[in-house]
Amino acid sequence: MKLFTKKLFAGAALSIAAMSSAPSFAGENPTSPIMGIPASSLEEFGGREGVRAWVESLFYYIMLDNRIAPIFREFGNPERQIFLNTQLETMVLGGPNEYQGASMSAAHADLGITMTQFNAVVEAAYNACERNVIKYHTCNQLINALAPFTADIVTR
Amino acid sequence: MKGSKANGSRWIKSAAFAALSLFSTGSWAGMYNDGKVFLTGGVFTVDGAGGGGAVPWATITGYESRDGINGGVGFTYVSLPNYTLNFFGGSVGFYDRFELSYVNTKLTTNLSNVDTVGLITTAVGLADNLGLEAHGSNLGLHTYGAKLRLFGDAVYTSDSFIPQTAVGVLYKKNTNREFVQTLRGADYKDWEAYLAFTKVFFRYSTLVNITARYTNANQIGLTGFGVCEGPAVAGNCNVDDDKEVRLEASVAYLLQKNFAIGAEYQQHGNNVNGQNLDLSGGLGGLSSVVSGLITAVPGLSNSLTQKESDWYDFFFAYAPNKNYSITLAYLWLGNIAVADDQHGFYLSLHATF
Repeated sequence: MKLFTKKLFAGAALSIAAMSSAPSFAGENPTSPIMGIPASSLEEFGGREGVRAWVESLFYYIMLDNRIAPIFREFGNPERQIFLNTQLETMVLGGPNEYQGASMSAAHADLGITMTQFNAVVEAAYNACERNVIKYHTCNQLINALAPFTADIVTR
Repeated sequence: MKGSKANGSRWIKSAAFAALSLFSTGSWAGMYNDGKVFLTGGVFTVDGAGGGGAVPWATITGYESRDGINGGVGFTYVSLPNYTLNFFGGSVGFYDRFELSYVNTKLTTNLSNVDTVGLITTAVGLADNLGLEAHGSNLGLHTYGAKLRLFGDAVYTSDSFIPQTAVGVLYKKNTNREFVQTLRGADYKDWEAYLAFTKVFFRYSTLVNITARYTNANQIGLTGFGVCEGPAVAGNCNVDDDKEVRLEASVAYLLQKNFAIGAEYQQHGNNVNGQNLDLSGGLGGLSSVVSGLITAVPGLSNSLTQKESDWYDFFFAYAPNKNYSITLAYLWLGNIAVADDQHGFYLSLHATF
């Protein structure tokens, strides 16, 4: 009985370890900006909770912008978008890769996003930083880390 | 000078016509775009091209993204100890790929030494031949520009060192041909070409631009192009108007998304270094009375030797919104023609649509 319980726990621990080290559901990988980003970036964003709060502000500003709100209203489930974006942004800021969504190119392939729309989201990103009192320089680290996805997202 | 006025009004008429036709066509609404991120089109340069204050960047002017057209008008005022400059012009960016620009520059001198020559030559009716006036001689420049973005993205390719790269050409025509000749410029009109490389390093919230310009301009063409070497008060001279590559650089640090501080450097040539003004007025020599008078004024002849220095500036650029930006700068322009230590202030307004 004791032995069985031990084995059970060991097995469970092993599978959790396996999941966290090589998650089979990861659809996107961290980017590699040429000069890197400071190791303290995630912490300066307020950790995972800070990123979550920032993503909520981001969607608040996105939904206020006529240029892009219709796209998110039609194609995105905002609750799920906020959940996935928190994972993605936490990852690119140097946190663990727990992203459960599709790759950036797969997620945006059929949307026909223009550069104007993409830049509008970037503007919303800076507004969200200001709203959440995240320093401009810190905000730039997130832009730095997300910028390599531009070509995957803008298809028109 | 009369010719320049005619050119100026023709430009205003054609610009007004172009503006009218743009606003009256229904398709304009579809082409209009202001989707670029703050300040990434640069501000209004003295050449009209999108860039910093003096250095054209590889970025395309205006707030358009690759989806449309945008542009603006700019006005710049420069106050130096012996010169005042006004720049007025406009630029249009097409699809974040191509830009066209025009600037009308007026330079007013406040040089006691040149005014004295102007006074003496006015008295004997020769001032027009030298392009001089008794009180504050003027120079003017029409600058027409075009720029094509070749490859690269200054803003979003943060995972590559490849900068945004653009090639540009400028055609410059001075409005006071006689004064340019007096200043020993070999040509009063010429073209220049440049290759610009621009990149934003988000890691350091910094924009870096390097530009190589192929030119023979003296003081960006305000005092002509190349040199006509020879003894003063002569008439004949040896022309050297070969172009050369000169380097320019801008660094801008973004304190917030719409406010940048930075510095610029622009290499200048030494075509006219050590050259005295040519007081022959194209007549094969001033009358002996005039040259006698000029020689008789203590220190005047010696003060008419020219020099040219590299330009430096330190600037603040602020874009409260996408419709206008304000740039303030302090300039270290060194020696300009016959005046030393031309350091002063620069104020530029750029209204974008």
